[in-house]
This record gives sequence, structure tokens and C-alpha cells, in this order.
Amino acid sequence: MDLLPQVFSDALLLAGLYTLMAVGLSLGFGVLRIINFAQGEMIMLGAYGAFWGLTLLGVDPIISLPVLVVAGFALGWLIFRGFVAKVLDAPHINQILLTFGLALAIQHIAIILWSGNARSATTAYATESAFVGDVLVVYSRLIAFAIATIMVVALIAWLRWSETGRATRAVAENRAAAALMGIDVDRIYAMSFGVSCALSVATGVVVSFILTITPFMGFPMLIKSIAIVILGGLGSIAGTVIGAFVLAFSETFVSYYVPDGAGWAEGIAFLLIIGILILRPRGILGQTVET
Amino acid sequence: MNTRTFGLLLGAVVLIVILSIPVFGSPSAVDITFRTCSLIALAVSWNLMASAGLISLGHSAFFGLGGYVVILSANLLGMPFWISLIASLAAGALFGSGLALITGRLRGIYFAITTLAASEGLRVIAVMLPALTGGAKGAFLDAKYYPGTFTVNMGMSLAAAVTCLIAWRMSQSRIHYAFRAMRANEGAAQMLGIYPLKFRCAIMAVSGAVASLVGGIEAFHGGYLDPAIAFDLHITITSQIAPILGGIYTLSGPIIGAVATVFIGDATRLSLGHIEGVSLLVFGLILVFSILYLPQGIRGGLSDLWRRRSATAEPTKMAKP
Amino acid sequence: MTPILELINIRVGYGQSVVLQDVSLNLREGEIVCLLGANGAGKTTTTRVVSGLLAPWAGEIRYAGENIATVPAHKRVELGICLSPEGRQVFPNFSVYENLLLGSFSKKARLRRTEMFDEVYGLFPRLAERRKQKAGLMSGGEQQMLAIGRALMGCPKLLMLDEPSLGLGPKIIIDVYEAVASIAKRGLSILFVEQNVQAALMIAHRGYVLANGHIAAEGTSAELRSSPLVQEAFLGKKPSRQDLSEVHRA
Repeated sequence: MDLLPQVFSDALLLAGLYTLMAVGLSLGFGVLRIINFAQGEMIMLGAYGAFWGLTLLGVDPIISLPVLVVAGFALGWLIFRGFVAKVLDAPHINQILLTFGLALAIQHIAIILWSGNARSATTAYATESAFVGDVLVVYSRLIAFAIATIMVVALIAWLRWSETGRATRAVAENRAAAALMGIDVDRIYAMSFGVSCALSVATGVVVSFILTITPFMGFPMLIKSIAIVILGGLGSIAGTVIGAFVLAFSETFVSYYVPDGAGWAEGIAFLLIIGILILRPRGILGQTVET
Repeated sequence: MNTRTFGLLLGAVVLIVILSIPVFGSPSAVDITFRTCSLIALAVSWNLMASAGLISLGHSAFFGLGGYVVILSANLLGMPFWISLIASLAAGALFGSGLALITGRLRGIYFAITTLAASEGLRVIAVMLPALTGGAKGAFLDAKYYPGTFTVNMGMSLAAAVTCLIAWRMSQSRIHYAFRAMRANEGAAQMLGIYPLKFRCAIMAVSGAVASLVGGIEAFHGGYLDPAIAFDLHITITSQIAPILGGIYTLSGPIIGAVATVFIGDATRLSLGHIEGVSLLVFGLILVFSILYLPQGIRGGLSDLWRRRSATAEPTKMAKP
Repeated sequence: MTPILELINIRVGYGQSVVLQDVSLNLREGEIVCLLGANGAGKTTTTRVVSGLLAPWAGEIRYAGENIATVPAHKRVELGICLSPEGRQVFPNFSVYENLLLGSFSKKARLRRTEMFDEVYGLFPRLAERRKQKAGLMSGGEQQMLAIGRALMGCPKLLMLDEPSLGLGPKIIIDVYEAVASIAKRGLSILFVEQNVQAALMIAHRGYVLANGHIAAEGTSAELRSSPLVQEAFLGKKPSRQDLSEVHRA
């Protein structure tokens, strides 16, 4: 049997998910120039939110998605006002270590509250699948892809055509000039941070019915997001989409065609990070790296 | 007594304490000293890179590398304790300078991410090469190469002592101007006659060698290594928390911070240890609050207090005839 | 009548160094006032203080009678203070059209957007031709027009222009100044910074001369044109009337 269509479809579905996963980080970096190391923990919180919604209240993750996204936005807003805003003009090292510390704290609050045990949100469609021709399509992955696509398209449309979205892009380009346009830069900062956290929470909700849920799930996803964002070029949403496709396709191909590929695939993100930063630090579509 | 002699005296006392406890101390004192020395060396090593503007989020890379080098050179090549440690030292230095070479002029966040990726990359490699490393199941150190508790503990104390001495020598020489220049602006440093790439290679070689050596000694201490232990993010976290908490870019800061970190870690373990995850939660909060409210660390906080006290004490002294 | 803008004893600087020392000036409604001065005299700093990008250390900024020294920059735009900043600062990855849209971000300006587009495109037909072009790919003169147009889109009552002629060819300078003059006819108050003294004094009603952070001279354009201080400061010598007219012709 020819594997290629299967590989292709798997990679495509994964790419959609990866785009949603990385786009929050990309937005946050583009506007604030800060890599939020707590972004992975937002994914984890989203997954737990969906899990508890399903387990305790019997609400399907897809239904609880809007509520959790709003909650994620609010949490992001609070984290920004409480912590991140204070280091906006501080040296890089303070920004990195602050969000790193936040990530550590959030992760371990989750361990304290919910223990380190792995859980999974078993929805009706979690294990369903169907053959389309020779290609096996897992419903949960298809649903995840659809949600991710809708959210990413909505984000891009919002940035492109709404007043606030346009203002957000303007702040990312030149914050002083944006202030001269009457844009409240602080508000845009808090909002972008909120939106970026909300997107990560959405990612968490979506993966809740695909992956096992643990307090530790965020970190590897953060690293992959960083790889994608760097690959596409820091601060470019279009680049992020491309980066997500590159990572998803290379991981899928490696896991199908290389012996022990599933394990090696986990290392591709790191290889890409190092490779890109050394060979082409601007990424595919991004701006110059400050050296 | 001025602060300089006070510092020297304090340094001497610390050296004597950490070197004599493996000889005379009770088992629990020896254990605490071992862990403190391990963290002192890691913290000083992390601070060394940070002082040159190189933020490492991948100190566990060096640590894990050193551990695996020790296990492999003992198990496969039958090297004795000291020789294996020298091998791990060399491996750390090579890896550090190699990383410096390939990262070139990357700075700030980009450099930090690269180190993080390097560490995670090594972890994946360790998992995926079971023939060499035992894979995810891990590898035991062959018991016949275990050099005895005293040697291991003394080794760690020596490692910490030598690391501190190196850092002290650097702070005494003109090199510390080079550090400050590198941290502020590499381009300007170049104009001062510092060749940034060479400087970075040298710093990362020293820093990497120290962290790798610590990993090597820890591997002897534990007698077992798997990728999750070797490349544990926890190592990176504690080696950055200690200098931040104690006082970054200073000589005594990382040492004070390491002692404080071990103390806080033990205190939370003893008081709240029944709650899983609480000690790292505390570390996370310490990191956040030190960055926001104690940017100069404990050391800076203390010297502020000292200055304020002597400022208020001064006028009364003057008033006396 | 209260002036639309009044600076009273403004003192400000960056870090340790003082840039403006006790600067006081005023602008009446409908007036065109220029700020003259050598490089580093504090002209741009003055526009930054008025626009809110820089908070004064001491002194008052009165706008239509109210002290706005603590009002943040984005709210001042809502009040009707718009700046075309030094170095133009257009958004390079945005189209001309999008730059102008951003210029009318404030709520008040949004309501009059269509009207303002007509006006700006009428003033600078070049911008209408290039509306889909990325701002970063345009020439310096076109970017300058865009920066001015963008500031106009905010429906200002007080328009500030920082060096609108910098880096422009002589022909475009004339275009830009014709535009400025026609904007002024609508009753807008304009404060502009200029190094090209001759050009500035042609269209300004009044002017202030800044030197080392102080107001060194002030007066009507005619007064300033004949002031020895201005002649000395900007031409490096005491020119005769004949010299001046030669410069004028050149």
C-alpha cells in the first residue's frame, strides 16, 4: 500500500494544530518583543479546563471552548498587568527569567491541584475514525484541525481588517508612532498578551481530546512553538503558518520513514531551532535578529 | 574592617568549611554540603556566562553530558574516578566552546533559546541511542568503579572550591571589565580590543567544563543516569535561581544564593514535602519575585541595608568630640 | 482669547541631561508658528512634549486653557493634537491607505473618515495614486506627504510638523509648503519645526528661536527675518540685506 497519502493527510492535520499552537507565541512576540515561556502552561491549563468540564460537568470540550478562551484571555490580561508589564523595558534576562518563573509556578500549582497523573478527555468522537479511500482519518484530529483553522483565520482577519487588529500591528511596528495615532499602547499590549494566552488555551482545549493531559504537557509544546516561530521568522504570522507546516511535515515524514522515527521526530524541533538560528536567523519571513 | 578583607575572610571560612565537612561532618551535614557545593559550582558557572551577557537556559546540557561521559568512560573504558572526571571536564569544555562557535553572535533571547534547544536535543539523543546510554531505561554505573563516599563528597567540595577560586581570580583581574563590556555591548567590546567570539569560547568552555564536572560527580554520587535525570530542566532552573536570588553578576551572589536555595528547598521539603510539586512552585515564585522586587538579589539587598545603617550611624559619630 | 497652546516654563530632558530649560511659548487659534534653532536646540523635544511622548519634568502644557501635562499621548490625539514626527515614522509594512486609516484611529476622527480621505487625497493627489503601495517602498518626499496626511486624518485642531522639508528636493519642499499653507487656511493652528529658515519664515506668522534649550528670540516672521540673532545663528555671519535676498533667490 502506498503510504504517501496517509503521511500527507496526517501531516496536514498536524500542521493545522501546530499553527494554532504557535500563533499565540508569535503574536505575543511580535507585539511585545517578549518570548513568553509560560505559553506552554496556558496550553496545559486549557487542556485541564476542557478535561474538568467534561469530567465534572459533562460538557463537551467543543462547547466549553468559548468559555475557556474568554477565561484564558482574562488570565493573560491579569498576568500581563501583574507581572509582565513591569519588565517591558527591563533587560532581556529579566524578561526571560520572569516568564520562566511564571511557567514553573503555574506548572506546579497544577501538580498540587490535580496531581501529576496523566488523564485523558474521552469524548464520543475521540476514538472514531473512517477511511477516505486508503487514508485513515481520525475524527478527533479532523475536528482539531477544523477548530484550529477557524481560529487562525479569524485571528488573521481580525489583525488585517479590524480597527483594533490594525492598531495591534501598528504597535508591533512602531510603538511611538502608534501612540501618535491615538492608540493606547498599554491597552494593546495587555490585549495582545491576553489574546495570545487565549489562543494557547484554545490549543489546550483542542489537544485535550487527542493527547494525554499532564501538568508537564506544556513545555514540549512550548519548545515546538518556539521552533515554529523562529522558523517562520519572529513576529510574522504568515511565517508562523509556514513554520508550522514545515515542522509538521518533517516530523510526520521522519516518524513514518525513519526507523524509530517517532522518537527522533521529537528532536526535529530542536534541530530546526539550532539550524535556523545559525544559518538564517531571520527565519523564512521575519525581521532581522538583533545581535 | 573594610568590605574587601571581610569578603576575603568570609571566602576563606567558606572554603575551610566545605573542605572539612567531608572529613569531619555527620552524614546529614555531608549530604547538605554535597548538594550545596554542587549548586555553588553550577550557580557560579551559570553566573559566569550571564556576566558576559550569555543567558543559559541549557545548563542541564552540560550537566547531563558530564554525567554520561563519566558513566561511559567508567563502564566501557574502565577509567578510574579522577580520569573519568577529567574526561567529563574536557567534554564540557569542548561542548561549551563548540556551542559558542556555532551560536556566533546570537544574543539575548536567541542565544537563550539555542541553549535550551541544545539541552533538549541532547536529551532526545540520549533516549534514542539505547546501545550507548541505556536509552530511556537509563544506565547504572558499574559498582566496581564507585570510589567510595568520601572521595565523591570531597570531589564535589573541591570542585566548588576551585570554581569559586577561578571566579575570584577573574574578578581580581582586568577580565571583569571585559565581562562588563560584553554584557553591555559586544560591538563596543570589540572596539576595546576584546575579540567577542574568542571571549565567548573561553567563557563557555570554562562554564561548560564546571557544569559538566558537577554532572560527572553527581553521576558517581547517584550511580545511575537516565535522560530525564541527566537533562532535567530542574538543573537549569536551580542554577539560575541561585545567582538571581543571591545577586547576579557578583562573586559572592551565586554562593549566597546557592546556600539560600538549598536551605529553602530543604525547608519546603521538610514542612510541605507531603504536597507534590510544592518545592518547585516555591522556586518559581522566588524567581518571579526576585526579578520584580529584588533585582540585585540578597547580596544587593543586604548592602543596601548596610549602607542605610551606616548612613544613619554616620552623623552620631561625627557629633562625638 | 485663550491661546490654543501655551507652554509655561517647561523643563525636560533625557536621563541626566536637561534639554529644555524654562521654555514658554504660545499659539493662538489659526496661527502658524515655527520653531527655529540649530541641531540639538530642543525643537523636536518640544514637539515630543506637546504630543505626550515625553513627560515634562516641570512646567505646564495648557491646551485650550487646560493643563494636559499628565494626559497620555493617545488621549491628546483625541483632544485634537496631531504630530507628524521627526523622521516621518510611517508604518513601512502598511499600505498608504492603511497608514491613513491608522491616522484616523481616534473615535472622533473615525466618524469623519470619508471626508478626511477626500481632503487628504485632494491635498496630496500623489497619495491617492499610490494608495495600495507599501509605505516603506516610497520615496522620502512621498513618505513625508504621507506623514502629514496621516496627521491630518486625525482631525487635528493643533497640527505639529517636525521638519516637513527634511531630505526633500526643492520642488517637493514647495509642494509641501503649499499644502501646509492651504491647510492653515481652514483655521487649523500649526506649530512646525524647521531648519530651513527662509522657507519657514515665508509661511509662518510668528516664530520662536530655540538655542541650547532656551527661547533665545521670538517675534513675527518679519521681525525674525531682520533679527541679527537669527541671521547670525543660521547663516554663521551677519549678512547684509543683499546676502539675504541672494539666498532667497537661490
